[in-house]
Amino acid sequence: MTVGSQVKQTLASLKGTQATLRIYAEQSQHEQTRVLFHEAVEAVDEILGELEDRLRTLEFSEPQYKGN
Amino acid sequence: MQEWLIVLLRAIGLYILVFAFIRIIGKKHPAKTTPFSFVNYTVIAVITALLILGIFPNLAIGSLALSVWVALPILGDFLATRSKAIHDVLHGRETVLIKQGKIMEENLQQVRLTGEELLADLRQKNVFNLADVEFAMLETTGELTVLLKSDKKPITPYDLQWDVAPQTEPQTVVLDGNILHDPLTEMGLTHNWLNIQLETAGLSLDNIFIGQVDSNGELYFDLFDDSVQMPQANVRELLYANLEKAQADFMKYSYETQDSEAKSIYYRNAERLDSLIKKLQPYLLR
Repeated sequence: MTVGSQVKQTLASLKGTQATLRIYAEQSQHEQTRVLFHEAVEAVDEILGELEDRLRTLEFSEPQYKGN
Repeated sequence: MQEWLIVLLRAIGLYILVFAFIRIIGKKHPAKTTPFSFVNYTVIAVITALLILGIFPNLAIGSLALSVWVALPILGDFLATRSKAIHDVLHGRETVLIKQGKIMEENLQQVRLTGEELLADLRQKNVFNLADVEFAMLETTGELTVLLKSDKKPITPYDLQWDVAPQTEPQTVVLDGNILHDPLTEMGLTHNWLNIQLETAGLSLDNIFIGQVDSNGELYFDLFDDSVQMPQANVRELLYANLEKAQADFMKYSYETQDSEAKSIYYRNAERLDSLIKKLQPYLLR
């Protein structure tokens, strides 16, 4: 497996995690819990952004592995 | 009028009347109130019984006696909420029986409790060792309340300096195979949501005895058919594991890559995830 595809896997799994966090943010009854999960969703959002940037650079530098 | 008819009418009338009276007097459990309240209830019961059977021939006079015994406690309760002094007169005052780990013998005398009875009361509170007690009080209801020495108290998350997620009360949304609407709307959930949850669990509504939603919005079922094994939802643990895996991945990439800029990006995000995991841990694992 190339680095690019590994990073893609991490990206996908992290996106799934974010979705679950979002569900919890909406489902929770307690205000404090909701706020915390919302913050977590945003934090993961930032991490995802940087990871996607990195992936673009990777694909640019290793075009032969693009799409793997 | 025939005698049996009179008794019947009196019985029905007084049943409704006394039922209403007792409702007005309040929710306090008769066994958990002061001894005098018990006397009060008894007098009401006896007067009612005498009236029904006509032992007290004059219904009007009897009802007068009854209403006095109903009105006075209501008046007393009302005054007691207004004034602490009246409250103390009506309900009595608590007696301190153990203070700073020492039994107050004079107070024990005053409430006419023997040492043995005190020990028995302590045992009722699961305290078998007198040395564990810091403070104990005899409430006006006759119940003993106990404060244990601080090193004998049950450990709380606060003692361990643990963060724990706040929780609200769970709501029962399914009872006997019927959806309860009010609790569901109180949780901000809909019928549709419940149906989807049931479908994912592969259950039909009429197979569920009790279904509860906890403060995290997760469902717990008890089924009529106990032989069916319900998979326990562990979405939270999985979520936590996923976050940890992502964090480990980032660490791995940061070690593997040769590019120093990429190294710092991966490393920074691994750190971010780490702090996020620490923050979410009490919510996902405890």
